[in-house]
Amino acid sequence: MSAEPAASLLEARGLTRRFQGLIAVNDVSFSLRSGEILGLIGPNGAGKTTLVSLISGTLLPDAGALVFDGRRIERLAPFRRAHLGIGRTFQVMKPFPGLSVLENVTVGALFGKDGGERNRARARERARAMLDLTGLAPRLAQRADALGGPDRKRLELAKALAMQPKLLLLDEVMAGLNPVEVDEVVALIKKIREGGVSILVIEHVIKAIRSLSDRVLVLHHGQKIAEGEPASVFRDPRVVEAYLGKRRA
Amino acid sequence: MSSRWGVPLLGAALLGAVPWIGDETMMQFGIYLLLVAALAQAWNILGGFTGYASFGNSTFYGLGVYGTAIAMAQFDLPFWVGLVLGAILAMLCALLIGLPILRLRGPYFAIATLGLNAALSALVANLDIAGRNIGLILPLTRHDVLFYEGLLALLLAATLAVAWISSSRFGMGLIAIREDEDAAAVMGVDTTLYKIAALVLSSLFSALAGGIYAYYVTFIDPASAFDPKLNVQMVIMAVFGGPGTVLGPVVGAFILYSIYQALASSISTAAALFYGVVIILAVIFMPKGLVDLGWGLRRMGPRYLLETVRQYRL
Repeated sequence: MSAEPAASLLEARGLTRRFQGLIAVNDVSFSLRSGEILGLIGPNGAGKTTLVSLISGTLLPDAGALVFDGRRIERLAPFRRAHLGIGRTFQVMKPFPGLSVLENVTVGALFGKDGGERNRARARERARAMLDLTGLAPRLAQRADALGGPDRKRLELAKALAMQPKLLLLDEVMAGLNPVEVDEVVALIKKIREGGVSILVIEHVIKAIRSLSDRVLVLHHGQKIAEGEPASVFRDPRVVEAYLGKRRA
Repeated sequence: MSSRWGVPLLGAALLGAVPWIGDETMMQFGIYLLLVAALAQAWNILGGFTGYASFGNSTFYGLGVYGTAIAMAQFDLPFWVGLVLGAILAMLCALLIGLPILRLRGPYFAIATLGLNAALSALVANLDIAGRNIGLILPLTRHDVLFYEGLLALLLAATLAVAWISSSRFGMGLIAIREDEDAAAVMGVDTTLYKIAALVLSSLFSALAGGIYAYYVTFIDPASAFDPKLNVQMVIMAVFGGPGTVLGPVVGAFILYSIYQALASSISTAAALFYGVVIILAVIFMPKGLVDLGWGLRRMGPRYLLETVRQYRL
């Protein structure tokens, strides 16, 4: 295994994942630079969430390699990847329903990168800080299953942040938010990046992707069809076609 | 801290005094009560915290029973050696079996553990060293006070272990597994290791309870050692009291077993029926157990009952 250039935090080479006959992710290669926000877009069913699951370890690839921070990780268990510093949110949110908001986030602080903070009191401190950051502090004593949609999105984000990841995978954290809330989350994500976290963000809100991403990766039918600066990617005829159909393009 | 533990400590002291203030009947009642309470607490470690409803804890109990019985009846070894042997046997079984069956979730896990219990029962019934299906007879002793205090000590140890779990990082990991195993794994919980650790700890306390009880009853056979009904009792008592809480399973065992005994001595034919009704009502109105009920009633009064019924869509 050769040493990777320090500039690239995550590198995927030929990642492929099949579900029975369907190839959800087909020979996808890309790299995510350290400190970068990479936007991941594509029509429904393009394989975006599958790609995030391959990176977080929820799914294993059928072929291809993943290098994170100079280490091969594509066969590692999810908890080991979390310890290395990969945190994710789930599009279909996965709160710990019976626990309070604070306890939910404390789990992220107790485990997470490097196995997390062993001391429960200090972990709770860190969790509180994340709740302040995401605006959930007023709800910290509520049960997670009593939260409304937007607050659940915030909880997903707070849980992942409490892990203190190096790489944060955000799977549609803005879906269902109103424009004001979207702006808040965009500002929050920028702030997180300023703290030194690299971010992969899946989003359907194109305006948000444009303003957030340093570069954009476009998937269509499981294949990478474009990668680059947002301005040029959104002018790419293949991308326009994928989104709007051939006739319009 | 002191006020929180005052009542349980007083209760433990009172329980410890029973052999000196109670009569023979009370002792017999007490020994079985402490046995099921310790078993319910042991079940709680896995079932209550990780949400894996085990019907195989009677297997670990049975291995504890047979470890002690084989050591004492076949090899004339002292009681404590048998106790340790039984515990080792049960923990080895938990370790070996845990890896494959803890991959199963929900009802599939429950069924697999039930199968394990049946398999071990059949295995033991065909082993000469275990007395085949006739069973084994242990040396007779009349030290009921020791059995009583031994089971009480075991119950206290199991409860202390659960108290530690519920305030530790380990326990938070177990609870995260119960609430959402995939999310727990992605957040850094080594789910396989945690589940196996919980199963092994649970098997340890179950086996010790079995070992003590075997010496007390002196006659054992496969049907009584690997009795699925005993496992059902553990589940009901832990769930009635409050799974995943420190004192819930103990309170649940004390209340349910007392009700059952009171009914059995007055209206024996209807006892089982009433017992069943109590359990059905409990599951409908307090699916999270007595401990949660007490907390909820204090916080929002009778509205708690309606809230839980609505929340669990019953």
